[in-house]
Amino acid sequence: MLKDVTFGQYFPGNSLLHRTDPRIKIILLIEYLVLVLVAESLPAVALSLCFTAFLIAVSGVRFGILIKSVKPLIFVLAFTAVINLFFTKGESEPLLEWKFITVYSEGVRTAVTMLIRLLSMVLGSGILISFTTSPLELTDAIERLLKPLKAIKVPVHEFAMMMSIALRFIPTLIEETNKIISAQKARCADFESGNIIKRLKALVPILIPLFVSAIRRAEELADAMECRCYRGGEGRTKLKVMKTRPTDFVFLASVTLFTVAIFFVNMIEFSEVIAFCADIF
Amino acid sequence: MLSGLNVKIEKGSYTAILGHNGCGKSTLAKLLCGILLPTEGNVSVAGMDTANEENAFEIRKRCGMVFQNPDNQLVASVVEEDIAFAPENLGLARDEIRRRVDEALATVDMSDYARHATHKLSGGQKQRIAIAGVLAMGPDCIIFDEATAMLDPTGRKEIVAAMKRLNKEMGMTVVTITHYMNEAVEADRIIVMNQGEIIADGTPEEIFSQVEVLHSVSLDVPQVTELMFLLEQDGFPLPRGILHAMDAADELEKFIGEQKNERA
Repeated sequence: MLKDVTFGQYFPGNSLLHRTDPRIKIILLIEYLVLVLVAESLPAVALSLCFTAFLIAVSGVRFGILIKSVKPLIFVLAFTAVINLFFTKGESEPLLEWKFITVYSEGVRTAVTMLIRLLSMVLGSGILISFTTSPLELTDAIERLLKPLKAIKVPVHEFAMMMSIALRFIPTLIEETNKIISAQKARCADFESGNIIKRLKALVPILIPLFVSAIRRAEELADAMECRCYRGGEGRTKLKVMKTRPTDFVFLASVTLFTVAIFFVNMIEFSEVIAFCADIF
Repeated sequence: MLSGLNVKIEKGSYTAILGHNGCGKSTLAKLLCGILLPTEGNVSVAGMDTANEENAFEIRKRCGMVFQNPDNQLVASVVEEDIAFAPENLGLARDEIRRRVDEALATVDMSDYARHATHKLSGGQKQRIAIAGVLAMGPDCIIFDEATAMLDPTGRKEIVAAMKRLNKEMGMTVVTITHYMNEAVEADRIIVMNQGEIIADGTPEEIFSQVEVLHSVSLDVPQVTELMFLLEQDGFPLPRGILHAMDAADELEKFIGEQKNERA
């Protein structure tokens, strides 16, 4: 039931992205999201697609994993595409008119760009962050990047600690959930039949024991942490120190350039490109 | 919960606290390392009163604790990062943290697992990592609060072996809270608790000679001790407080030899 969740999973490896400083990766992700959202004209979208392909290539993440990560979102993606396809009004002649359905060429375009955008966002964030960065590296990077916020009393360390503990307990709680499901099934609980309300109700006997045990675990963990001299982020040192290598900066600079390029490419329309090509020949 | 308690645990000793569920043994453990504070009376660790807030950090540094559930005391997803947690909290330099992590891993015989994910280890291995996590803090004393209760027999053996090694080879003070008699036998001193009070205190031989007392608080004695006790009850003149199978065999051999001599 919970085996197919790829979100937040880390696949150890030694690719260029695996070795990149996680802080740089977070900045890259932000740039990447800007890039994907900004790309609007067809050439720009095509360019952003190329960039996504490049990321996939340097991440060394297997193709099957990528497919798996997109799978749960197929419904959302299809829904967005269909809505955009039918409800975008265009100025030109409709491509198709049948009863109350009218499809304009603009609609097709928005649907396609929307689809590409969403797909790139899901794949990109997966590749850049979760698949190639260990959870601890990630929280460490967030803590370091947000350090300046400490000056205005934002509990940066506590936030990072909470996040790393949450990530640490995901496998433990998944295991526990499966145990509870088995236990309730053994007592004839039925999770698979009935309408949606009935099925949601069937989840209650899973969720309540899970919450109770999670709270108990939290209490014990707090004791164990105190016993190991934890007293917040004050005066704490780290086993691992993050090092930014020159290649990381090269990577960062090239992506920044790429993003800026997208801004300019955006201004060129596809029809202009065709006209330009026609001019040459 | 607890009343009339007056215990002194010597440095470098190996003490087992016995008692069945709800008798206050876990409460005692939490009092010892200052997680709980006494409402009456006082607890002092190495001469420092636990009630004094200023001592809390120093006490925790000296007195580590391993808990029952191995899953609920591992903080990080990777073994070496978890072990580094305590030295990181102490604010040590990076080289020193590295050294302590490697040393602690070697002590619990888990050096090969430094880069492994904690949730994929077995119960016994997780508990060894928990011990290493405490060792890396550099304590003088480790309290095991039913640390073997959730493990399979193999895991239990690993942990008991680790406890013995810590005490005998490294001279660390070990306090183990348990309801497994076979673990208590390994200790130098046993404290038996019932309903928040100490009802017996002594060496394993002394404690397990008082089979009736243990039975009265529904505690078992080791199988061999039980056997010798039953034989004695049936009128055989055998000594009490036998803890190991080989000792029992020797006693029986001696007894049978005497019987033969008498007949001859």
